[in-house]
Amino acid sequence: MTISDYLVTDDLTVLLGFIGVSVFLLQNLYKPQPLVHPILLGRQSDAGRVRNPGESAVYRNYGTGLMGRFPVRPDKDVNVVTDFVKPEFDAPRTLWSTKITNTQLKARVSAFGSGIAKLVPEDSIVLILLNDCIEFIITDLALSEQSIASITLSSPKLLARVLEMHPPNAIITDKTFLPHVLKATSDAHERNHALIVVDWSQPSEILIHSWNDIESQGKVPQAPKNAPQPGSAYTVSFFETPSGGVQCVQLSHENFTSGVTAIKALFPSTINISTLDTIVSSHSLSTPYGRAIAYAALFEGASFATLPSTGTFHDGDTPALDVADILSATKFPIPSPTVLFLKPEHVQSLTSSVIDRAKKSFLFPLAWRHKFASLTEGFVTKDSLWDRTVFGSAREDVLGKMADTVKAVVISGGLLPSDALVPARLALSIPLINTYTHGSATGPLFATHAFDLQMLPSSSPATEPAHVGAPSVNVEAKLISVKDNVVEQGADPIGEILVRGPSVGNMLSADGEAGEKNAWVHTGKTARVMTNGAFKVLGSM
Amino acid sequence: MAYTLDFSTPVNSALLIYILYSVQKIVFPSTSTPKTIPSEFKHGYSWMPKEHPPTVLFKTYTPKTLEPFNGKNGGRILLAINGIVFDVTAGRNFYGPDGMYGNFAGRDASRGMAKQSFDLDMLTAIDQPLDRLQDLRPDEIENMKGWIDHFSNKYIVCGKLVENDAA
Repeated sequence: MTISDYLVTDDLTVLLGFIGVSVFLLQNLYKPQPLVHPILLGRQSDAGRVRNPGESAVYRNYGTGLMGRFPVRPDKDVNVVTDFVKPEFDAPRTLWSTKITNTQLKARVSAFGSGIAKLVPEDSIVLILLNDCIEFIITDLALSEQSIASITLSSPKLLARVLEMHPPNAIITDKTFLPHVLKATSDAHERNHALIVVDWSQPSEILIHSWNDIESQGKVPQAPKNAPQPGSAYTVSFFETPSGGVQCVQLSHENFTSGVTAIKALFPSTINISTLDTIVSSHSLSTPYGRAIAYAALFEGASFATLPSTGTFHDGDTPALDVADILSATKFPIPSPTVLFLKPEHVQSLTSSVIDRAKKSFLFPLAWRHKFASLTEGFVTKDSLWDRTVFGSAREDVLGKMADTVKAVVISGGLLPSDALVPARLALSIPLINTYTHGSATGPLFATHAFDLQMLPSSSPATEPAHVGAPSVNVEAKLISVKDNVVEQGADPIGEILVRGPSVGNMLSADGEAGEKNAWVHTGKTARVMTNGAFKVLGSM
Repeated sequence: MAYTLDFSTPVNSALLIYILYSVQKIVFPSTSTPKTIPSEFKHGYSWMPKEHPPTVLFKTYTPKTLEPFNGKNGGRILLAINGIVFDVTAGRNFYGPDGMYGNFAGRDASRGMAKQSFDLDMLTAIDQPLDRLQDLRPDEIENMKGWIDHFSNKYIVCGKLVENDAA
């Protein structure tokens, strides 16, 4: 047979030809576009050109640049913490269980401030031992307005030590924790303080002021004697280090405005926080980061609530960090949550619940394959065909109404294992922002790009946690105790993280002496810098 | 009119096989990740650059150890002003061996910067102690500080200069 006999074509050939061409086009041109161009993910931080021996170069966010100034406030008029409550914005929003407008909130803040200014002398110290509630925010804003120093603790174990070192003039607590406070103060032989208790109505033999009474006493507002300055410190936070030591950090108004700026910068413009959002946080207001999240919600006019696991001052065990904890946010009369600030344990528990539910569908293996394939191209969406058939109903079964409204999740307060990242991205199909926070800073120290979906296996044989991205927009970081000979060969620097910036507070020494301004703060954690400028926090020293 | 549908012709079989293969790839996409991470963004979404951006280690130099860095063998070019060592390799046109200011390469250029002169007598010999700059007028000191600012913005500060026996 000749060649022409082999190349016999007929009508079927034409048909198959059309089908072949369309299949070819479908396969090659219908690749999903990545949510963020990969070239941006190859240069996430700007590295310094010089490094001191034993240290790495100084790294900053690529957007800020080495020569850029750190953004310090979210808006030009926000100088002190009370400016977060914008008076010109007047729609009501719900904070925990209270529906309140900004003007009402400002009125309550000045009322409480005047009330407490009558009770305690100037230059006094107030110890706040409250679980997260609207009274905490009002107290904090009022004390900052009156320039009365406040102290918060990240754990009740620190109470005895703080009472000894810094005897307060007033202690604010709630009914359930009051017995512990009374016991701790009598152990410390501490008598010269006023006790203010939230929800206190019954008479008692000890002089206890009710929080509501203080607020009503201040109905005739008394202007504070000195207007607060942005740079002046107004609160001190005590936190525990992983090794069990206690550290304390002094925070000023500028630290909090920078922290709110950094939190806002976590969200790109397509998913930024606005008045339509409801933020739910799993970080206690007694920590600087937790408070900055609350202030960010206040500033944007969003509704806000915290999870029960944030309660630090209570009896019994802390609730487990799992899906039930997340769902308990819906018990508050807030609109359905849209942005969740969770801990890695919450995310892992949520992912495994959603995937267990999704596995019940027979289409699950196919759906997983397709979503994984689009993830390798850098694209994920909540509205794909596979979500409508498999994952969407699984999410709804686990999260209820929240499944529809949640648009982003920020993970902080721990190290997320790298093998939990891909299942979490597929199960939730919304931007997951992995961050690293520290007890001394109001904003996140490191944060990933919201649309970063890269799957980078770890370069070392040990399994490392997921990377936390580049330094935040107003933080600069460097590593110390780095092996010079290894780094000169081109390997990744590994060392202890030091940070500096307007959102990092001023660490106080053991005696309560303030350090020099803008000093490098030791975080006590080791990290490695990858070639694309992202940091991987490896663990404690 | 009857259509001829003959799957056994080679062309038709080839096309059919191609279509079946492509449809299988579309319906069951591959889930394998590459074993080595690509080093170019064109080769994959999950990529990493091969190397870190170059950084220079901050070192302490003496006049003797600074002198080899005069760019004569195509190496780095360093010069020092007021004890600060700058890496001026980027300005090879000026500070290289053929450049206008090539006299300063690998040397302490403080006096020359202050007096705005590139003569050889502005430089101190390598085995002599560092130039104390005590006889400079205040406006010459200001001029030198201006040059230090210019160099700090344009070039990298990569070390400090100390006496020959201090290192």
